[in-house]
Amino acid sequence: MEISEWDLIQKCQKGDVTAYEELAAKYYRRVFMVVLGMLHHQEDAMEVAQETFYRAFKNINRFKGGSSFYTWLYRIAVNLAIDFQRRQKRGVMDFKENMDEVIVETERLGSDPYREVRDRELGERLLAAIDQLTPDHKAVIVMRAVEGLSYKEIGRTLGCSEGTVMSRLHYARKKLQEKLGSYL
Amino acid sequence: MKAKRKLPRSLFRAALLFSLWLALLPAPLGAAEKGQPGVQVKIGTILATNQADCSDSQLSKMKQQLEVIKYRCYHLVKEESQKASWLANAVFEIPGGRSLVVMPQEYRNNRISLKVRLLEGEKPIVDTTVRVPNRGNFLLGGPAHEGGVLILSISAATQ
Amino acid sequence: MTRDCEEIKSLLGAWLDGELGASEAAEVRLHLQGCASCLGEKARLEKLQSSLKSVLEAKASQLAFEPFWAGVRQRIAEERPWHARLIDWARAVLSPPRLAWAIPAVIIILLAGLSLEQFFPGWRWALNRSNLAAVESIDGHGFNVALLRESKTKTTVIWLFENHEGEEETSAEPVSGGPAF
Ligand SMILES: [Zn+2]
Repeated sequence: MEISEWDLIQKCQKGDVTAYEELAAKYYRRVFMVVLGMLHHQEDAMEVAQETFYRAFKNINRFKGGSSFYTWLYRIAVNLAIDFQRRQKRGVMDFKENMDEVIVETERLGSDPYREVRDRELGERLLAAIDQLTPDHKAVIVMRAVEGLSYKEIGRTLGCSEGTVMSRLHYARKKLQEKLGSYL
Repeated sequence: MKAKRKLPRSLFRAALLFSLWLALLPAPLGAAEKGQPGVQVKIGTILATNQADCSDSQLSKMKQQLEVIKYRCYHLVKEESQKASWLANAVFEIPGGRSLVVMPQEYRNNRISLKVRLLEGEKPIVDTTVRVPNRGNFLLGGPAHEGGVLILSISAATQ
Repeated sequence: MTRDCEEIKSLLGAWLDGELGASEAAEVRLHLQGCASCLGEKARLEKLQSSLKSVLEAKASQLAFEPFWAGVRQRIAEERPWHARLIDWARAVLSPPRLAWAIPAVIIILLAGLSLEQFFPGWRWALNRSNLAAVESIDGHGFNVALLRESKTKTTVIWLFENHEGEEETSAEPVSGGPAF
């Protein structure tokens, strides 16, 4: 018998950490993806993703089931990630740091190695380019790409209008295209 | 605080700025120690036996800790130190075809969370996660070795 | 009214996202049928989107749950009242192993309440507390395990008792040769 998500949530609301572990196992990767897209640095992303799950558990009594549990989670995650960047203000990322990974990975490539290397490189460059956007621009681009969310939903998460989401997305994409140039 | 009053003004101001900076760190996220390059992990392998009383001068610092275990003789067989990156494995060779895999997981509240696995050949003997105080240690003992038992002192320090 | 390429390009993102009204969407679709330049732009936007998703997916797939959860649980544990933590801890330590084929016996010896310090932070050993390692989890893989924490000498010991009988049922008594603690 599979225990439904709502049952698990109700257990969590009674303080059951084991039930919460199940929920976390289900969603941690998706949350991590969103946060990593916004923060670029693995350690920071891990920190914020863990904090997301911690805060969600702490406030789980506030979750009434109006949206899906995951929607609720990523709203926390996105806002924590924005918050984190405002506190952190790291220096600009150096491309080279990521390029090493690209070279190491070439050993286990598939049918079209050249294409795969290029795609991988594109991925890394893309993350580095996103890292240079403002927190709000990062948030829209990542939410749209990872979750395929509607402008309305993105706007709800960030507390802005659909029009704002549209113009931020447009701006962010343009910037990324400029930075990536021939890689696309 | 008395000593501080004698410090030059510039030093005092620097200290003030430093503590302000500390206070403004993103504490709510627990990211107390951002940018730590890694962890120095040191493994001391100690052979404990009951054949005769003895003492190893290299272990004098650990004397009190070892007395808790109550063997008659302790001998430091090997000591190895490695720099481990966060969330990366550091592998230490332990006598008797064993190995110890240590992964520093995170640093919070002045403690380093270490994930530790002891293997005999390929076979895992124990998996444990321990939060060690920075520059502190813990002991992992029990595997039989040359008529005695091995005790591993696992210590960690941020860099 | 027909739009030029620049206008169409500025709408492409929203069009791909399915966020344009019906008439505008139709206009874009029509334009794309006869414009290589805008088609190229569309392909680039699609690639941008899909590359981002796949690079993040690839990175997230490398993240193991265990270390991730350890961090979450630790945050939770630090906030919860001691009695709740005690119950969780007991459940984690005493619950039967999940793998059906193994019957590992895990014995935890808590000596003289020394480990209580973990659950009563600040109690009695407040001064030494930061110097004592805290054990979060132990899995003995079939070995009997003892845990000793001695605050006076700041010692935390995890002790493995080899189970010489192999797969025999739980031997509650530590095999001879163990420490006399
Ligand atoms: Zn056109």
